[in-house]
Amino acid sequence: MIDPGTGPARAANCPGGVGQCQEMSPAWLPPTGNPYNAPTMFQNPEIPLDTLPSVDSVQWQALAPAYKRLRQLQALLVAGAASVPLLIVTFLAGLAALQVVFIWLTWAILSTALLLWPTLSLPRRGYVVRDRDIIFRHGVVWRSVTAIPFNRIQHVETSSTPFDRKFELATLQLFTAGGSSGDLKIDGLESRTAEQLRVFVLQKTGASIEHA
Amino acid sequence: MNTPDSGTWQRTSPYAILFFLGRILRLIAKNAWQSFAPLFALLVAYQGDLVNKLILGGTLLAVIISVGAVLSWLFFAYQVRDDSILIRSGVVKKKQLDIRFERIQGVNTEQNPVYRLLRLVTVTFDTAGSSASEGMLPAVTRGFAHALREKIGARDVELAAQEGQPAAAPRRLLQLDWRDMIRIGLADRRALIIFAFLGPLMDQMDGKIAQFVETSLASNNFGPGQLDVGAGAAIAATIFFAIVVVLVFFSIAAAFLRYHNFALFLDGRTLRSTGGLLTHHEHAMDLQKIQTLRLQQGLVQSWLGCFTMSAKQAISGRKQRRSKTFTVPVVTAGQSEQLRNLILAPLAGHLSQDPRSTSFQPVSRYYLRTRILYLGVLPAVLLASILIAFEGIAGLAALLWLPLAMLVSWRSWQRTGYLHDDEELVRRSGLLGFRTVSLLFRKVQRVTLTQSRFQRRKDLASLRLYMASGSVRVPYINYATARQLRDYILFRVESSQQSWH
Repeated sequence: MIDPGTGPARAANCPGGVGQCQEMSPAWLPPTGNPYNAPTMFQNPEIPLDTLPSVDSVQWQALAPAYKRLRQLQALLVAGAASVPLLIVTFLAGLAALQVVFIWLTWAILSTALLLWPTLSLPRRGYVVRDRDIIFRHGVVWRSVTAIPFNRIQHVETSSTPFDRKFELATLQLFTAGGSSGDLKIDGLESRTAEQLRVFVLQKTGASIEHA
Repeated sequence: MNTPDSGTWQRTSPYAILFFLGRILRLIAKNAWQSFAPLFALLVAYQGDLVNKLILGGTLLAVIISVGAVLSWLFFAYQVRDDSILIRSGVVKKKQLDIRFERIQGVNTEQNPVYRLLRLVTVTFDTAGSSASEGMLPAVTRGFAHALREKIGARDVELAAQEGQPAAAPRRLLQLDWRDMIRIGLADRRALIIFAFLGPLMDQMDGKIAQFVETSLASNNFGPGQLDVGAGAAIAATIFFAIVVVLVFFSIAAAFLRYHNFALFLDGRTLRSTGGLLTHHEHAMDLQKIQTLRLQQGLVQSWLGCFTMSAKQAISGRKQRRSKTFTVPVVTAGQSEQLRNLILAPLAGHLSQDPRSTSFQPVSRYYLRTRILYLGVLPAVLLASILIAFEGIAGLAALLWLPLAMLVSWRSWQRTGYLHDDEELVRRSGLLGFRTVSLLFRKVQRVTLTQSRFQRRKDLASLRLYMASGSVRVPYINYATARQLRDYILFRVESSQQSWH
């Protein structure tokens, strides 16, 4: 087991958020840089697995609080839109009372689930920007954690729907090679944060390409 | 035209008209309906008898196609520069393609029988990371293709020289003979698929054949109905067997066509294959560009004791779903290990990719449980309940799916495994045959670790490694192991200064 508290791994984490970890150099790297890049004097020092920076010891950044409200508003709108044909059916189709009760009970259950889902799922979503990669977690039943190293990112995209703009939110999409559509999609970011992240990631990506 | 001169626009040989002719014909065949519709309309409008109409239509079509081919050739020009190649094409819609040498992953040539007589080849380029269509040069001389390849490869040679490694002469790694062609033909999966389609048809054909035989015998003064059941079965079996023989024959013939005299060369850091009976194919691939290395063995191949080895390149462009693949159609286990060592040298390639290797680690037994649940229990219960509602108690027959699903799950669980060292990971899977995929940690694009509720309770996780050529999943391994592996992969990727492509 990796003990998150002891290793020098903590240096690479970025609890302060965007822009604060540029100066930090991971302590586990040899000072001369990469050992695999030296053809004349090949060295391959053994790295104890315990000292590798662990993804599990990070402090997750939550999404914007407004995102939850947006999702709830969207759920309300969907539930409202769904009720229109149901209302028509109830008053015009001449169904038995039991059928009407059944229809509206189903509607109520589904709407409540839709309305409560953001409360359940959003706390499970979060991202972390580290010195050399960006990590995103999501999922309630199937929980997954995705990590993309900056030196594999091909391009970055931010986008926002009219709804997003009303709540001053934006979506950040990161693309790597060989993937199809957005390989990592972080929605529900404050637009300012999304923009900062975009610039930061681009800067990091550019830097890693220069070294290569 | 034998040397790629810099800075001038050049036309390919007039024989390229043949190539454009072929391309137009293929296009017409592909969109047959749309292509013939206007012609058909014209013919209906034209007064005259049918033969005249057909002659007129045929002539018109031939003229249009020929003019199109000549125009395509006239408007096709290319220019080789110091670091890129420009290709201009298009009669109505002009197109200019600028392919930088550094983006070219491989220079492939193809030579059909006509071009072979004329000593010409068609060159195509494998490029990575663009959605633009790949470039090609029809009907250029062999010498030109060779010079172009040298020129594109020159930078690599310079790089090698800087590192103090002399450019080695091409080395022959593998040569296939006619016995290998038979192996390829026998193992061809397409024959099996046709066969699977024919299976259900056989029932219907059976009746037809019996009828046909009876009528033909009746004309020979035999009474109808004299044919007994045994004879009918014998005839059906004979026909069945004949179809099998024909199919196998065709797939062996196809193998000869595509892979006759197949040879594999290592030229510096470039892997090159040549082969083909009528159309001669030459494929080249930079070792650096390999994303995943596969070793596959189908059911027939496991009887013959051979494998198919393939190297996958990055998927180029967002529209393209499949990645470029370099295939060695038949290798033995020993040959595959040698090839691996050469291809992945110097840092990796120490692991065995042979699926029968005992060093593969199994995945958790709970993987089997989940597979049975989702593949067997859930569909069986659903199907049974639906069928019972409609068909009554006979619907319980759907539960027969369960033992089959269990067998399939058990087999695939047994064959799922993985092994890794500091540089690479090999994952094994399979149902009837085997498939092993090998990848280098430093070429990974992103990593995802997923845990279901059940996996969290059992302290398990599934790891998915995304490569530029697709993803590789290692399911149901110990959570701590998965985390350690992920952290190590991230470390390798993030500290790697080598490019992944």
